[in-house]
Amino acid sequence: MTTESQVNDYLARLRAALTGMTVAEREDIVEEIRMHIRERSGDPGTNVETVLAGLGPADELAQQYRTGVLVQRARTSISPVVILRAALRWATTGVEGFVVFVIALIGYMTGFSFLLLALIKPFFPANTGLWVGPDQFNFSFRLGATMTNPASPVHEVLGWWLIPVCLVVGSLSLAITTKFLQFLMGRFHWKVPFAASAHARPAMMAL
Amino acid sequence: MAQSDHRSTEIESPDKWEAQMRKGCLEMAVLASLWYGRLYGLEILRVLERDSSLVLAEGTIYPILNRLRAEGLVESQWVEAEAGHPRKYYELTPSGRDRATRMAETWTQFSAALGYLIEPVLKDRRVEQPL
Repeated sequence: MTTESQVNDYLARLRAALTGMTVAEREDIVEEIRMHIRERSGDPGTNVETVLAGLGPADELAQQYRTGVLVQRARTSISPVVILRAALRWATTGVEGFVVFVIALIGYMTGFSFLLLALIKPFFPANTGLWVGPDQFNFSFRLGATMTNPASPVHEVLGWWLIPVCLVVGSLSLAITTKFLQFLMGRFHWKVPFAASAHARPAMMAL
Repeated sequence: MAQSDHRSTEIESPDKWEAQMRKGCLEMAVLASLWYGRLYGLEILRVLERDSSLVLAEGTIYPILNRLRAEGLVESQWVEAEAGHPRKYYELTPSGRDRATRMAETWTQFSAALGYLIEPVLKDRRVEQPL
């Protein structure tokens, strides 16, 4: 009885300290440690106390899991394709994942739009530019011959400078989006949830 | 002067150095233990206890396995065992086998070079302080 409550207490502290991950991941870890304690304490000359001592304090064990994830984050890919795919998988797991996916989509679309503008400027020089109207805050990119009407107060300000400006802004958008998403993925401990463990042992999870 | 300072810190913390060395080798040891097939956490622990003196705390092995899985070097699977409770088995992926191979090669070269370097240290120690 006492040993069982000791184990449950240890696992409860472990569970509480395993922050920043999905429920499925957390329960998977807790189940694995529970099975370790159960099997290890059956060894000759061993009991639950020595097994728990061997595992170390629950919060330190949780810390090791979290540190491992930080290392993993440092090795994360910078490819937009990989990150977008990861964000899409994450989006299926809940609200925070969906928000990240939307941020990823907007960030990458902004970045690629700027790069695209730089690319099409040489082919459509009259239609591509930074158009500034009478309203000071009304900056916009326009791709229409209608706006090139000389009578219109709206005029283009960058000329050929548009190309380097768009290249820089587009690259920055892509870089910032990538860095930000890597930060979010590390912070929320993103990983693909594994279906096998999510439903496997609900009875044991109740403890 | 600086050299003697350096030496004294080294002498003060040989345990820390040893712990870090073991920790650094643990990842390679875990991958190597899976070379012949899948094992569950406690089995890996027992293999490491039997074949080496690497494991300092039993809990260390599980976060390492978790990270190796996140890196795609191992795959895990819960299996209902005859023991009456499920066990989480780990298996090397192809990239895990590659990593283990490269680590083993690096380790062999490294330890051969270092063994040659420390040979005189051990020889002099035997002369001065016979055990």
